Amino acid sequence: MRRQAVDRYVDRLLGRSRPKPFSATEDELALVRTAIDLAAAGPDAHGPSPAFVDRLRNQLSEREQTQEATPEPRPAWRTPPRRRFLAAGALTATGALAGAAADQLLQDRGQSAQAQQPAASDELVPVTGTWQQVAQTTELPEGAVVAFDLGTVTGFVRRTGGRLRAVSGNCTHQGCRLDLDPNRDKLACPCHGATFSLSGINLTRPHPGAPLPALPRLPVREQGGTVQVYAPAAGEPPQPAA
Amino acid sequence: MIWRADTAAPSPRPAVLPWAVYPDWDAIYADNVGRIYRLMFSKVGNRPDAEDLTSQVFTAALGPLRPGAEIGQVRAYLTTTARTVLAEHWRRTLGHQVTEIDPDILDLAEFPPGAGESEAGEAGAQAHRILEALPERYRQILTLRFLRGYTVRQAATELGVSVANAKVLQHRALRAAARVETAQDVRDEEANIGGEGEAK
Repeated sequence: MRRQAVDRYVDRLLGRSRPKPFSATEDELALVRTAIDLAAAGPDAHGPSPAFVDRLRNQLSEREQTQEATPEPRPAWRTPPRRRFLAAGALTATGALAGAAADQLLQDRGQSAQAQQPAASDELVPVTGTWQQVAQTTELPEGAVVAFDLGTVTGFVRRTGGRLRAVSGNCTHQGCRLDLDPNRDKLACPCHGATFSLSGINLTRPHPGAPLPALPRLPVREQGGTVQVYAPAAGEPPQPAA
Repeated sequence: MIWRADTAAPSPRPAVLPWAVYPDWDAIYADNVGRIYRLMFSKVGNRPDAEDLTSQVFTAALGPLRPGAEIGQVRAYLTTTARTVLAEHWRRTLGHQVTEIDPDILDLAEFPPGAGESEAGEAGAQAHRILEALPERYRQILTLRFLRGYTVRQAATELGVSVANAKVLQHRALRAAARVETAQDVRDEEANIGGEGEAK
């Protein structure tokens, strides 16, 4: 009997279907573990099917929209420390991250419900730096991209789908300054040839292996006919670049 | 300054700029779904369960993880979530923690993000360690069945035996492999206790 149960488990594993639970002895558990270790080097281990990746993306996207539409109180540990995440992101982007902030971020997860401000002030309010002009509104029609150099921060701002987005202009490989490619649809690194999409995702990389991290995103806003990026004050006037 | 989520032993390879930031949720998902799937597959050995567990990890992480999160933090959070999800899976099915994830040791950066990018690194190495210690015949049947995806019938033909014999051979080979692996685990543990173990 026992032998059959564990054999069926292994057969289903090899048949690429979901194995069924059974009451296993220590020896059988060891057998299952070994079967898993061997199967882990098999053909299905090479990665998820594209169909699954798409399906899960859609499910998550629907779920996220539902959550946003009907915000429900979460248990304390699930409360998104959004303020902290984004604040850390902004600081990183400007090269002034205090490492402690990141540590706190995870440690404080449990206390974040108490620590967070009331919902009314849920909008992010960065605590250092200033908003600095990088372009005139008229320079950034839909689809346009503008490079900027604020001294402390360089980057690219673009308008897409009516929204402004800004990313750092330094390659995440070795920090070289990225150039806008001639088609103005990619950022290219002159040092080792990495390229990034305008949204900051790594497209090609200098060496085989893991993709480079995405380009840090910078806070950007539009006010009084100008486009502004939030960055540490450099002690010098902002210098919008073409 | 290097940020780490914890103070555990350093990962075997230098991390790739863990303080860089994911621009949006899609980027978090695109960069990590393959990694989590591979991690889960290496722990359950079959596609349906690996897909289920991957879904559970991302569903659980959807609320807490937001755009603007640093890559290192996101991966640490996903790995920790994966540990919990896997533990619950084993509790629900076989009632024992058959395999587990140690977030202090595991580095998601080492799992290639896309499909078919490389041989399953650590998993492949472990499989070969087991197989190398087996007699030729056992190694053959397990290689055909597990690593190459042959059916019993195909494996039987390849080895020139009957299907019934192939099944018996596979069963014996797997038992022998389990003994080899258990012995290897014991050796590793003893080496660690003695403080003279190799890095892995």
